[in-house]
Amino acid sequence: MDNIYRPYLMTISDMTDEAPGVRTFRLNFSDEEEGKNFKFQTGQFGLYSVFGAGESTFCIASSPTREDYIECTFREAGRVTKALRELNVGDTIGFRGPYGNVFPIDKWEGKNLVFVAGGIALPPLRSVIWNCLDLRDKYKDVTIIYGAKTVDDLVYKNELKEWEARDDINLVTTVDPGGETPEWTGKVGFVPTVVEEAAPDSNDTIAIVCGPPIMIKFTLPVLEKLGFKHDKVYTTLENRMKCGLGKCGRCNIGCTYVCKEGPVFTAEEISKMPDEF
Amino acid sequence: MIEELRKKAEELLKNDTVKVVFGYGEGSVPERTRPVFITKPEDVNKLTWNKYCVYNLTTYLKRQETRKLGKPAIIVKGCDARTIIVLLKECQIKREDVYILGVTCDGVGDPLATKCESCDVHTPRIYDDLVGEKKENKEVPFEERYAELDEYEKLGEKEKWEFWQKQFSKCIKCYACSNMCPLCFCDRCIVEKNQPQWIDSSAHARGNLSWNVTRAYHLAGRCINCEECQRVCPVDIPLNLLNKKLAKEAEKNFDYRPGYSVDDELAMSTYKEEDSQEFFK
Amino acid sequence: MEKLLNKNKFDTLIAGLKKQGYKTVAPKKDNRLVTLEEVQDASEISLDHVITNNSIKEFFFPKTEKILSYTLDKNKVEMEEPKGFAVKSVIFGTRPCDAFSLPVMDKVFNWDCSDKFWVERREAITIVTISCDKSDSYCFCTSVGLAPDAKQGSDVLLTKISNDEYLVETVTEKGENLVKEMESVFSDPPGTPDRQVATVEEKFDLKKIKPWLDDNFEHDVWDEFSNKCIGCGACTFVCPTCHCFDIVDECTMTKGDRVKNWDGCQFTMFTMHTSGHNPRSTQGMRWRQRIMHKFKYYVEKFDSTLCVGCGRCSRVCPADMNISEMLELIETEAGK
Repeated sequence: MDNIYRPYLMTISDMTDEAPGVRTFRLNFSDEEEGKNFKFQTGQFGLYSVFGAGESTFCIASSPTREDYIECTFREAGRVTKALRELNVGDTIGFRGPYGNVFPIDKWEGKNLVFVAGGIALPPLRSVIWNCLDLRDKYKDVTIIYGAKTVDDLVYKNELKEWEARDDINLVTTVDPGGETPEWTGKVGFVPTVVEEAAPDSNDTIAIVCGPPIMIKFTLPVLEKLGFKHDKVYTTLENRMKCGLGKCGRCNIGCTYVCKEGPVFTAEEISKMPDEF
Repeated sequence: MIEELRKKAEELLKNDTVKVVFGYGEGSVPERTRPVFITKPEDVNKLTWNKYCVYNLTTYLKRQETRKLGKPAIIVKGCDARTIIVLLKECQIKREDVYILGVTCDGVGDPLATKCESCDVHTPRIYDDLVGEKKENKEVPFEERYAELDEYEKLGEKEKWEFWQKQFSKCIKCYACSNMCPLCFCDRCIVEKNQPQWIDSSAHARGNLSWNVTRAYHLAGRCINCEECQRVCPVDIPLNLLNKKLAKEAEKNFDYRPGYSVDDELAMSTYKEEDSQEFFK
Repeated sequence: MEKLLNKNKFDTLIAGLKKQGYKTVAPKKDNRLVTLEEVQDASEISLDHVITNNSIKEFFFPKTEKILSYTLDKNKVEMEEPKGFAVKSVIFGTRPCDAFSLPVMDKVFNWDCSDKFWVERREAITIVTISCDKSDSYCFCTSVGLAPDAKQGSDVLLTKISNDEYLVETVTEKGENLVKEMESVFSDPPGTPDRQVATVEEKFDLKKIKPWLDDNFEHDVWDEFSNKCIGCGACTFVCPTCHCFDIVDECTMTKGDRVKNWDGCQFTMFTMHTSGHNPRSTQGMRWRQRIMHKFKYYVEKFDSTLCVGCGRCSRVCPADMNISEMLELIETEAGK
């Protein structure tokens, strides 16, 4: 019988510093065969481990359309992410996954997409953004609204430039008041306010929102005001997880196991959950 | 005595001296009592007093759920009152924030708890109000106070090691010992810290040894031997032997017994040049 | 298959099992407590207790176990699978409530994907249960659909029929094979055995619990009942059906293990995010989770109550929180 807790071994093939304390690893399967058989869909997550330090949960930040590797972006916060920060290109880490449900991008075909992200929550959206951009002609207008505390805290700065340069994407970036630099050309203001100003058309549009709880809390009413129905708004939830497999018993919100039935939920599904997140 | 306790509690709640009374109530079986938190004067008849009132209720002074209830009056036996003195000395509570409802006590538990056998605090040494007839706190000789250790101290080093290996192997890391301890009040216990991982969280030989020894050492010179850790241990580890041994060493080395007087200097946080370093050997 | 087993054959039985390569686990008295642990011969076995202090859980899901070992050499990692964790054993003399916890827990450990550490032990271990001939006020198996002589989860069930004799009933093929293997110790059962089975009072009506839980995620009772809780893990660790765990790495410079450890929903740190945010920030919320998980969430997910009524959590609770009292309270609330 297979050991469900056994990770794949992966080699760090590249890394990028995104923002203070935030780094992206590009990972390749150490075993080519495993790499060939590995499939995932956008929205899914995994447990990344540093041998000796432990496992930590985050999303797969790359798009499944980029088949040769996966990427993860993490902020140094606890024991495992600190150990991850100490690794270099060529080092080996463990990866278990993919776990969880997916963004239903097939269902979104032919619609407009609005992505709203705050701070370090861009990684899960980056996966689905690239997935949709790699299938660009299947979707109508694409709007990305992204904010962080300061200019320095914006992640994927190179990709933001790339998106800004494309004329098939409407990118709005913002930083919290006081977080701007003299050179900053984006907006200054909190994400919910910027969403309200940008006022994306809600007609035939799917909104995908990721961010800290406080941002989500204030953004959802704005989207509602703009005419977005709850079942057209998607988000991902993060809870403390240890197994990712519906066994260790800590990620549930009421009856819902975030690791199995999530991490992707519609605002409608979330509104039916008990207030425990 | 029960009636007197209830009357006092009612009075304190009625005249708004306190918002809540921490006391003992009927337990799920006649041989048990349980902590109760009385907030309404009409509920004071839920208070009881009998030989099963073993709990050291001062542990609820540290818990956010019970702190939230407002200024408490707390029912304390003489031993529990010693905890209050330590908590005051260690700046965990302010004297004016707690109303101490002392009870005089002839001993609790059935059979009688070990701590009661050499009790020298039948009457609490600190209180705002006393319920029960005042009893003399007779000094108990040093040897008698630590008689519990006689058998243990006769063991050789190897035997002691084997004894503890066997006892700690039972530990399931439920942390009832530290959660129940009124003096284990760190916001984040060392066992919850993982940078670095001082104590393995696993309940294996190494993890159990480091946990139990660290817990005991952190209480050296502070523990007032209420025996709550041992009482609540679901796998019956004689934790009090450890605590008592450390208390004995602290007393021998520093001539200090915690919780007897608010004017004492704390053994572990007072530096003196003439202190013996033997303790650390 | 029905047989008879005389107490004076216990010796031969345990010796026989040993000879057949079984490890035997049975209730053993040590100081104040009776604990399920390995025994070498029948004289060690205790029979006059209500229930063992530890549950059967630890023999399938130990308090700590390796789920992966590895060696580290510069940036090279070699992984090694743990071996030898499933030892051919007989658990002799456990109680029906404990035995029933096994099929209940099979569900979560096999949901979608199987946890081999659980599954392989399940295959390797045979359960010989002894029906309860006495109970105490903490027992409430009859309130959760069981009985002191319930068979579910056992491979063989023994029921006392006289001071020295037990009626032996095989429940599964595994049990039948075991009895055949040890054939010589058993004799033919009497025609009409007088089963000595404890009575356990029914304390609440399970049917009334879940509908109330469905509607009362927010209710004062959660805080009020749990304000004496000290936030330790005693209740969850002695529980035969609490299965929450943690995964941690323990290593030296050159080698390490990934281990799975018991964890519990009553600990503050259990759900604490790295950011410091805690979705279950109060003891009331954590207590609610324990009750909800057992009597609502598990029922919805796996069509089974995650409680077998053994009463251990109430026996060991440092603050005398009593789970059946909580359920009686819910029943009362439901009737309002």
